[in-house]
Amino acid sequence: MIRIFIWSSLLFILLASGFVGAIWLDLGEVFTQETLANSIFFELRLPRVIYAFSAGSILALCGLLYQSLFRNALMTPYTLGVSSGAILGAGIAIKLGLGSLAFGIASISLFGFFGAMLSVLLLLYLARFLKHSHFESLLLLGIALSLFYTSALMIIFYLGNAIQNDMLLRFSMGSLSIIGWNHPITISVIALVLFIVIYIYRFELQLLSISDEGAKLRGVDTKRVTLILLLVSSFAIGVLVSVSGPIGFIGLIVPHIVAKLHKKPTNKRIAKTALFGGFFLVFCDTITRAIPTQSELPIGIITALIGGPFFIYIIISRSKN
Amino acid sequence: MIKLDSLNINYNDKNILKEISLEIGGHLNILGANGSGKSTLAKTICGLVEYNGEVYINEKNIRDLSLKQRAKLLTYVPTKLEVYDEFINVEEFVLLGRFAYKDSFFDYSDKDKKIAKNTLEFLNISHLGSHTLSSLSSGEAQLVSLASALVSQSEVIILDEPTANLDPHNAKTIAKHIKGLKKYHQIILITHDLDLASYIDSPTIFLKSKSATYFEKYEEFYNEAKLKELYEVEFDGLVVRYD
Repeated sequence: MIRIFIWSSLLFILLASGFVGAIWLDLGEVFTQETLANSIFFELRLPRVIYAFSAGSILALCGLLYQSLFRNALMTPYTLGVSSGAILGAGIAIKLGLGSLAFGIASISLFGFFGAMLSVLLLLYLARFLKHSHFESLLLLGIALSLFYTSALMIIFYLGNAIQNDMLLRFSMGSLSIIGWNHPITISVIALVLFIVIYIYRFELQLLSISDEGAKLRGVDTKRVTLILLLVSSFAIGVLVSVSGPIGFIGLIVPHIVAKLHKKPTNKRIAKTALFGGFFLVFCDTITRAIPTQSELPIGIITALIGGPFFIYIIISRSKN
Repeated sequence: MIKLDSLNINYNDKNILKEISLEIGGHLNILGANGSGKSTLAKTICGLVEYNGEVYINEKNIRDLSLKQRAKLLTYVPTKLEVYDEFINVEEFVLLGRFAYKDSFFDYSDKDKKIAKNTLEFLNISHLGSHTLSSLSSGEAQLVSLASALVSQSEVIILDEPTANLDPHNAKTIAKHIKGLKKYHQIILITHDLDLASYIDSPTIFLKSKSATYFEKYEEFYNEAKLKELYEVEFDGLVVRYD
């Protein structure tokens, strides 16, 4: 019953989300050609809802993936410092005052993407020096790297001028403000590819979520599968963070909520996690647009406000177990 | 047939076993003190640990086998079943033992599911099928672990201290199953439990000082003088003297 209520509420919010914002839209006007409501809905709100849905799916899927691969409830690209790496990359681009680079790609996005990818590679390199099953150490390593990237970013802040710092601050808060259909299409395709790759490897992931040794003994090439899944997910996160900035906690809380709601093993939670992540970020985004403020609340603030207490709940419930 | 050829194993930069050469044609018990390399040897045979030398199973070098081929040849039952996924149930877990037989993308076949079901029945744990692993007692978990190994239908089953965490009643249940399985599988048993080793009654190697001593019959080592020599502790008959 609770399941049906939660899922149907989220579906309702998804359908209603496009009508909510600084200007509340009327259903009749939206579907009337050449009205303001029509153009707001189809040029701004609908792409944004699709973008938020796809971004939420990517974040939730990456959370599920990291938690299953590393068998730790606190593992996400965010807690492992990948997002901080992306912000540092974007910060470097802003400080260098780079505009659009080749093929019209914004330098902030490109540097953000490379920041995310390089931080994953650095994490994987450093992880080789850890004892095989010490994933708690990997988490600490991620936190240490995250702090290091944040400190480096502080130096950029310190050296930056007011305009640069404002750009950087807005980027680091995370935002789903996009214009046009380019980003929604790109992120939707990436979300779909990520989902397909994880789905193809769902049985391997199920075995890896039991134990590395157990998976290997049953015939899984654990190194190859882990590397493929990490690279694909890092690419997805890298692209997403480079466009939206960091949006924390979705990857942490959504896989847990879906697990508690459905009580199914990992391989049977992939589609539900992707859907719930999408719904949940649309829900958070709807809140940012529904609250009347001078300018729109950054999405990262809302997800962190919801995710922070949830994070504490996970830590306390883990210590009880 | 398992053949170890000049096996040298280092673990955490420490030499655990040195120049072990051995041919294991049938069942085997592996005994030895803590840290003597029993589990490491077992994991080496399974290809889980880096090693120097060669390991052959049925004259095939395990380095030349894919992981799926290895999984069909031999399986390893750990001392304790540890699973991160708290919502996987017994049936789903046991079915994972069929991974090596399934086509990569598709679900487990009806045949796989039937084998898993029959295995649970064989071990009298069908009633646990829908239980999550996290809800099982140690004895039940060990039976489930054994079921997961049996569904792989591998020739060789390596059991790593299967009764270490069990009360006498559960230990007896597991011991009986192991003894029964000797008819169908090559059983390699690692244990500290001398009574279990004698009950299983297989040829034994005792690991000590990085090398292995072979005993064809358990009577050869299951006596006060030999046990004292092997474990370097006083025995009263076959029982350790604590005072």
